[in-house]
Amino acid sequence: MSAGSSLPYRLRPNKAVDRELFLSLLMRLTPALSLEKYHYVGLGGPFLEDFRLVHARLGLARMTCVETEEEVHKRQLFNRPVASIECVHKTLEEYLDSHDFESPAIVWFDYTEPRGITTQIERFARTIGTVPLGSVLRVTLNANPASLGKPDPSELSVEVDGEASGDRAAKPTIQEWRLARFKERLGALFPSGLTVGDMVFKTYGPSLLRALKLAVEKETLSFRDRRVVWALGTHYADGQAMVTAALVVCAAGDAIIEPFVKGWEFYSTPDAPHRLDLPALSTLERLTMESNDDVRAKMAFDLPKSDMGEDPIAVFKKFYRIYPHFSRVEL
Amino acid sequence: MTKPTTDQAQASPTKRFFVSMLTRDINLADAILDLLDNCLDGALRLADGGNVDYAQHFVKIKLAADHFSIEDNCGGIPREVAKNYAFKMGREPDDDRDSETETIGMYGVGMKRAIFKMGREALVRTRYDEDTFEVPITSAWLDAKGWEPLPINEPTEAGEKLAEPGTVIRVHELYEGVSRHFANESFENEVRTAISEHFTMFLQWGLKVELNGKPVEPVFVEVLVSERADGPAPFVFQKTIDDVLVSITVGLNTGRSLGNDDEDDSGFERDRSSATAGWTVLCNDRAVIVGDKSRLTGWGDGIPLYHPQFAIITGIIEFRSKRADKLPVTTTKRALDTSSNVWLESLVKMKEGMRVWISYTNQWKNHPRADQSNYWEDAKPLSLGKTIAAVALRSDVKKSDSQIEFNPQKAKVLPEPPGKTPSARRIVFSRPVEEVRLVSKMLFDIDDEKPGIVGEKCFELTLAKAKK
Repeated sequence: MSAGSSLPYRLRPNKAVDRELFLSLLMRLTPALSLEKYHYVGLGGPFLEDFRLVHARLGLARMTCVETEEEVHKRQLFNRPVASIECVHKTLEEYLDSHDFESPAIVWFDYTEPRGITTQIERFARTIGTVPLGSVLRVTLNANPASLGKPDPSELSVEVDGEASGDRAAKPTIQEWRLARFKERLGALFPSGLTVGDMVFKTYGPSLLRALKLAVEKETLSFRDRRVVWALGTHYADGQAMVTAALVVCAAGDAIIEPFVKGWEFYSTPDAPHRLDLPALSTLERLTMESNDDVRAKMAFDLPKSDMGEDPIAVFKKFYRIYPHFSRVEL
Repeated sequence: MTKPTTDQAQASPTKRFFVSMLTRDINLADAILDLLDNCLDGALRLADGGNVDYAQHFVKIKLAADHFSIEDNCGGIPREVAKNYAFKMGREPDDDRDSETETIGMYGVGMKRAIFKMGREALVRTRYDEDTFEVPITSAWLDAKGWEPLPINEPTEAGEKLAEPGTVIRVHELYEGVSRHFANESFENEVRTAISEHFTMFLQWGLKVELNGKPVEPVFVEVLVSERADGPAPFVFQKTIDDVLVSITVGLNTGRSLGNDDEDDSGFERDRSSATAGWTVLCNDRAVIVGDKSRLTGWGDGIPLYHPQFAIITGIIEFRSKRADKLPVTTTKRALDTSSNVWLESLVKMKEGMRVWISYTNQWKNHPRADQSNYWEDAKPLSLGKTIAAVALRSDVKKSDSQIEFNPQKAKVLPEPPGKTPSARRIVFSRPVEEVRLVSKMLFDIDDEKPGIVGEKCFELTLAKAKK
């Protein structure tokens, strides 16, 4: 677990929305799949916030929280909000390798480390074939292109709209450099045809999801009893850019789950992930935006745009129902 | 003494045996590449010995759950060829097409094998000059016992004609497994990558290949060459052996020479070398093998087995001949005939080139990459042809009428690590990340310095103590 992921959700509104989207997907699936009988496996962080919510919303009792750092693991045992949560001091991979699922599972591969991205993608893809039918798998990947490495600036050239620095012929641009690293890291998983334009802050996330999707599709070729239905893809940044994808492992002949998923309000796939880029708002702004159709007339100023370059009003309109509102409570 | 009778024993092959055996020899992606090969041979014939302008040609491939199609404007099939040769299973000795062109097809099975591999209904429509006709291959024909000739039909409607000379092949009633593959995105990606690698030369010359509506881009296989006459350069060898012009180069690829020392994914279980590391074998401009790291190309055969340490080494070998049967390729065109003389003789030189770079990477093994990148600063990635042209200009190249050879180790143009000590030993160990963070914080006041640097500083600290 990296230091960043122990930040509370209230400081990461987009991550909070992302989590709400996933919970909302699970609630949508509950009547079709009886999720309360499922086994939930994930990384809880010191406070096991996700576990509390999964239990509260779905009534799911069998839960396993995996943690590699011993002190955090001990803290989890102390903080455990529901007694039925099993806390294990292992990596997620070790746990999955040593466990046979008796019932379908919900597994959240919450990867925050940018290193080993290929191993992470492969591990996720491989799990498709090992979980019982009906299982729901979700992965979070670090989508910060700078994590591909920082070359010495003297080794780079620059080019903007056809204008280039004098050393352009001899040295790569940062995007070219990243593309070469990305190719190296992914090896055979590299999506053929990716270009330098796919290696910037805004586009790197979708490129990563593309590789993920190809790895999963490749894996499904080996199984005739099952197929995957992609359900949710997101791309957000609270500081660190992240992408997520969730899917349901269905029986090959399934005709129930797919229409159920596709009819969902927030249905999205790795090809076109939701871009979660919500503005930070005062309480008055929020209430105004929720209760008025014509926000721009009421608020005679522009909300700032973030790195993702989305229109803050449009994004808010799409996700306001699940946008968290945090306020201070003195204990 | 026996005497002849009027009875005869049937010895002709059954269709079922033929179809099922033939198609087992090839995988699905290679079958598609075979069809693409045919398009290119068509373009070569169209140029009739002259230079082909590949930018004038296109090939459009469509993979779908219910059909396959490939369409080109590479000249089409002459009616006489269709009647006598093109649909025969195997090439006739009197088929003397291509004796003067550098094609790669020689067995006459590519198109048929590809079609039978995919499905049970196919239609080959072609236009040669102004003559348009089509040949259907039906499941009824496949199921019938005899080898009846296939019908040749002519178009009656405008929609059945082709806008320019070329060929369209459509296959329907795909086999179940084939259909699953054609509908699968990762298979499409695999085919796209294979085309971009195997046909890289043609794509670089402007050939337009579209797969499911999206153009395929070439992959560049290149080695680094310094511009300075005494700067580092790859191993080079060129010679004509048995009517085949053999060109070899072995050098550093562009992959990591500029890279940093991040230990992402490093470790024995991971090998994420770029596809172009290892050996690429070209025959008449087709890449037969790309990035091979196996015994086939000499690894582990008198030299070490391939290992991630060698991921920066790229070898390119090209065979060029007007006599396709002299090239060391098998019928699938994606594998090598390793018993041929030309291959065996070349392999000796390939290994010689590899040894140069294996000892180079051994020398630099325990030194930071930044130290060697200075020497390579002015080096540029070049293709095989350009590498040979550039290196041939150097004064220390060995040149005679029949061959060119350059060994950078012998020419002493390779950089050596500073303060190279033969006694250097590598120390590797692992500790929990919490502990590394703790030590990093103490030494550097940040908790995320690279573990390698933290470990090295710890050693230096202890060494200073030990020396007191």
